[in-house]
Amino acid sequence: MMQTDKTVLLDMFRTMNKIRFFESEVQKFFAAGQIPGFVHLYLGEEAVATGVCAALGKSDMITSTHRGHGHCLAKGGDLNLMMAEIFGRLDGYCKGKGGSMHIADFNIGILGANGIVGGGGPLSVGAALSCQYKGNKDVAVCFFGDGASNQGTTQESLNLASAWKLPLVFVNENNGYAISLAQRKAMAVTDIADRAAAYDMPGVVVDGNDVLAVYEAAQQAVERAREGQGPSLIECKTYRWRGHFEGDACVYRSEEELAEWKAKDPIPRFARQLVDREVATQAELDAITNEVAEAVAAAVRFAEQSPYPSEEHLVEDVYA
Amino acid sequence: MKVGLIANPASGKDIRRIVAHGSVFDNQEKVRMVRRILTGLREAGVEEVLFMPDSYAIVERALLDLPADRRPPSIEPLVYWQHNTQEDTVRAAELLEEAGAAVMIVLGGDGTARAACRGSRNLPILALSTGTNNVFPVMTEATVAGLAAGILASGALPMDKGCYEADILEILVNGEVRDLALVDVAVAREAFVGSRAVWDMDRISALFLARCKADSIGLSAIGGQIVHCAPDSGTGLALDLQGPAQRTVRAAIAPGLFVSAGIASHSIMHKGETFAVEQSGVLALDGERDLVLHKKDTACVRLALRGVQVVDVPKTLEAARTRTLFARQIG
Repeated sequence: MMQTDKTVLLDMFRTMNKIRFFESEVQKFFAAGQIPGFVHLYLGEEAVATGVCAALGKSDMITSTHRGHGHCLAKGGDLNLMMAEIFGRLDGYCKGKGGSMHIADFNIGILGANGIVGGGGPLSVGAALSCQYKGNKDVAVCFFGDGASNQGTTQESLNLASAWKLPLVFVNENNGYAISLAQRKAMAVTDIADRAAAYDMPGVVVDGNDVLAVYEAAQQAVERAREGQGPSLIECKTYRWRGHFEGDACVYRSEEELAEWKAKDPIPRFARQLVDREVATQAELDAITNEVAEAVAAAVRFAEQSPYPSEEHLVEDVYA
Repeated sequence: MKVGLIANPASGKDIRRIVAHGSVFDNQEKVRMVRRILTGLREAGVEEVLFMPDSYAIVERALLDLPADRRPPSIEPLVYWQHNTQEDTVRAAELLEEAGAAVMIVLGGDGTARAACRGSRNLPILALSTGTNNVFPVMTEATVAGLAAGILASGALPMDKGCYEADILEILVNGEVRDLALVDVAVAREAFVGSRAVWDMDRISALFLARCKADSIGLSAIGGQIVHCAPDSGTGLALDLQGPAQRTVRAAIAPGLFVSAGIASHSIMHKGETFAVEQSGVLALDGERDLVLHKKDTACVRLALRGVQVVDVPKTLEAARTRTLFARQIG
């Protein structure tokens, strides 16, 4: 079952807070008109990316989604480079020309956020095939949403991953809505894990707001993949606090529903567990929270001080 | 003649599909089982069913494809706020008892049946297996299960002719009953509940079993290799797995998962006799890590003086046969 040491647990707490502060700052600066393009915030879903990526090593790979900030941060993405990219600045991951949905860092296994719903599946199959071919024991993780689960690309990826017994873990973040469409209105079977059986792979449902439940499931699925036993599907039931995108009026869901999920906030829930089980004192957790808040504030300053790309940068790094 | 119906949309989907070889029990199968239960209830003359609403709408989906003349006339949801947690089942069972249901039919695994019994220890329960380790719930065709429950609920057969009292375990923390288990309590050297399931015996220091037998699955299978405790025997089994092992037992503690467990000693548990839990950690109740014990807590486990009433489907239908409830002489 769970072998947890304090360092791992506090790192998870740090990561969850890093995502929370990061996304809160993005929300604020987007509202102030200082961030171009679209942003899709991960607020409320922090436990999923954190729990999964805590089970990965640096050379393992992830494919992400349009709601990708949390995945990239949890996999070790650089705060400054991410914030600068989202601000559209030259010092960002893509020199300010990609924005929120194109953040990638191949050196640490982030194969990219992705503006195409369901676009991550085939990429993750390719990544996992490369691990299998090289025999390096690395694994790939495919994050995808409930909407993406209906895309042919995702189903084809599930099939091929299982047919070839690839070292791949599919992590479904089921937040109940595909943009504005409630899952129950468009899906005959609302437990996405049920679909795993059709592809002869294990499918499990976990509480996506419980970082330890996610972590434990991810650990086991990753170990299974490393041992050559093939892919697994982990469905994490969770909820996004904000709209599909910033500016979404969210008329398709109720305040009561949002309040119910906010009461399940994964961060104070985890903090209570850590203090209750005497893993850490509240003072230690407060120190981590303050440290992360300062790091995110510094990332904003880094981004603000970075120049915008100029005209001569326009055609650089363009391959087609 | 009301019958309660609880179908857990989350059963049969936990981590044991990865760490063992558990089957995915999809919710559409639960829908089909509910249809068959309802036809059985109708056949027995049940007029009213109250059910737990759930996130998958299992009963509502079942009704979409079940003609009115094949189901009880009144099928209504219990009205309360759902949290999509185990507590929904607990609350549903409480409400069923308050509403005067005669029997509750529960679809799930051991964990679901336990949650229902936490909500009501008075209502007779008929637990049907749709979970992973199923010791308490039975694998019986839902149609005849519905028929059996209906016969008892409608009064066509006295309740005591179709039920038996199953022993259960009570968990006392600091002198007060905090929880119960229908089959097993495991003391896990864990700090957290995590993904709930138990599969690593190296992390288990003691086991308390309300029942065990050789052909069981789950943690009670370990005790089942030592003694046989029938569900209504009034005895249980306590196993110390922490001290120097006197014997090793090999047993299937999850589907497709055999483990070896070193047993230091074992003791027969009698009703009301308490057994101390020697260390802090997490108690796994009916195979799910659930109850966190702190260092300052003192905890113990006992076989309860009063168990729960369980509908025995074969016994009920055999009694119905001897009373010719469904057979008439012609001519």
